[in-house]
Amino acid sequence: MATTEAIGRKKLLEVEDLRTYFDVEGRTAKAVDGVDFFMYENEVLGLVGESGSGKSVTALSIMRLIPNPPGWIERGAVRFRGKDLMRLTYDEMREIRGKDISMIFQEPMTALNPVFSIGFQLTEALQHHKAMSKRQACERAIEMLELVGIPDAARRLWSYPHEFSGGMRQRVMIAMALSLTPHLLIADEPTTALDVTIQAQILELMLDLKQKTGDTAILLITHDLAVVAESCERVAVMYGGKIQEVAPVERLFARPAHPYTRGLLTSLPRPDRERQARLQTIPGIVPSILDFPAGCKFWTRCPVKEAVCETVEPELVEVEPSHWCRCHLVQPTATPGGRSK
Amino acid sequence: MHGMTSYFIRRMLLIPVTFVCITFMVYGIMRLAPGGPIEQARTQLLMAMQEGGGSLATSATGELDLPQEAIEQLKVYYKLHRSIPVGYLIWLGVWPDDDRQGEFNGVVQGDLGMSYRYSEPVLTTIVSKFPISITFGLIGYLATWIVCIPLGVKKALTHRSWFDTTSSLVVFLGYSIPGFVACLALLLMFGTSLVWDIFPLGGFRSENWNEMWEAGNFWWCVRDQAHHMVIPIIGYVMSGFATMTILMKNSLLDNLGADYVRTAFAKGLTERRVIFLHALRNSMIPLCVSIGHAIGLLFAGSFLIEKTCNIPGMGLLGFNSLVERDYPVLMGILVFGVLIRLLGNILSDVILALVDPRVRFE
Repeated sequence: MATTEAIGRKKLLEVEDLRTYFDVEGRTAKAVDGVDFFMYENEVLGLVGESGSGKSVTALSIMRLIPNPPGWIERGAVRFRGKDLMRLTYDEMREIRGKDISMIFQEPMTALNPVFSIGFQLTEALQHHKAMSKRQACERAIEMLELVGIPDAARRLWSYPHEFSGGMRQRVMIAMALSLTPHLLIADEPTTALDVTIQAQILELMLDLKQKTGDTAILLITHDLAVVAESCERVAVMYGGKIQEVAPVERLFARPAHPYTRGLLTSLPRPDRERQARLQTIPGIVPSILDFPAGCKFWTRCPVKEAVCETVEPELVEVEPSHWCRCHLVQPTATPGGRSK
Repeated sequence: MHGMTSYFIRRMLLIPVTFVCITFMVYGIMRLAPGGPIEQARTQLLMAMQEGGGSLATSATGELDLPQEAIEQLKVYYKLHRSIPVGYLIWLGVWPDDDRQGEFNGVVQGDLGMSYRYSEPVLTTIVSKFPISITFGLIGYLATWIVCIPLGVKKALTHRSWFDTTSSLVVFLGYSIPGFVACLALLLMFGTSLVWDIFPLGGFRSENWNEMWEAGNFWWCVRDQAHHMVIPIIGYVMSGFATMTILMKNSLLDNLGADYVRTAFAKGLTERRVIFLHALRNSMIPLCVSIGHAIGLLFAGSFLIEKTCNIPGMGLLGFNSLVERDYPVLMGILVFGVLIRLLGNILSDVILALVDPRVRFE
């Protein structure tokens, strides 16, 4: 991907040609098959795609938390603040987890250990990474719980996860993830399992805390374009284990380049428009992870495919400044700055 | 916690009800079953008289039989002369016993009656055997934990490795060999000169154990006791070995795949802490709950292992009492067995409430 940037912001994370495969009954499922993207410091990047597109596996690969067996990281580089995470020793990587990069998961109901109090689970990471005393860790934990809006935090510290509602548990998860002021927060579908009213609150809370705590960047993984529109600066669209399009949010919504992104956007219900006879959808279904086609991953469902799409995989090309797209039919505009990878 | 207390009080109050139902049923079945002490006595007497050729009473059908008065006397002697409900209530101690000046003498008063066979109070008989079974049961159960927990954990952590596969083979072999058969094989191999004669051929202690104890040979006694216990304990461990190992392995494996384990790893905790604190703590829950149920089994002893290894414990006592229709002893064993099992079930619930904060009994 482009190495120079017009805006001149520092890059926090660069993922290059990341490939994570799984063994599925003797066959190799290429869940993530050459993912490239980068994140600026202090940025909110949305990673969008249908289920099975490889979003969560990308996140877990960055953390090196792919369960092995059956999965493994075949190749790729993940440069985080200058260090390639893939080359660190196990213990060096462990020191980064939780402290520099932390993660929130989709299921708040199961992501916390049911037999330990949330106070225990909040303080253990603090004591581990910062060598805090029990007392200091408790104070910090209470402070974080108050910050995420848990009422009566000092008393609830020793409550167990089952005594909290789903939304409250996700708040606890956020408190836990941000208690060590990481540089990067990976939020894997943090609002998907919650009620719609709670979703907005949690999203707002995350962005609010990002402002308060300072320089935490957020990688927001979601399949919900409304969430992206609300909270992200830039969006990366994933399909078939590859990034298909990256652009600033306004530009992606205004001028989507990739046929898949266009399909995603037209399949959104639009209450402001006149009611159409039928909601538009992308034809076909996502192919099984085991048999994605050769060539462009999307051609089986693409409305504008040509012969070349079936055999040659397109490159991720900067079609206009800060806007990359992986499609044979989308050529760089006349802008001289645009160049291929 | 208030709701929990009342839950457990209610559970305790149900114990007497269950107890009465079970003991009444067993009492009734026992009284109705053929081959009771009177029939046994009759057969014995008849055989003796036939051999002696003495004068005989003749029943209405012309067959040889005891005089009616003798049968009635026997019935009174064995306390079988009352109807089943009245007999039961007297046994229970809530109905006056005419034979003893209308006193109440039963379970409620702590009187389990006299053993037909040993001619001593049932309570004395049971109390003399009880420590033996409990010793073997407890040590066997502890040994099972000590062997199975680490093995199950190791198997879960090395799932599908050669270690896991080979040990599974051993586990299933152990599952298919009953404990007493293993004891028999071990006694043959190591109790006789067949392979290596290093263990005694059964028995609870050496015959001169009590003398040595009084002589103050403490270490000799301990060694002798341990020496006799090795083979039976192996038998006890074999009985629960497979189930507990596989339970431990599967439980840990389930928890290692749980979301909260991923969260713990994502926090940067060490693998050791994630596995041995977070996952293991959760996977021990089903095993802890099984403790309460196991207690009932500890009391009962294993009749087959006791028989094979010639240990005079509860299992053997129960079996002999059954064969010889020693009803008071059988009922006495039942009293203890039922009470311990019922309390064990409640204990399981208490343990579950202690180890799993999610559980709240209302």
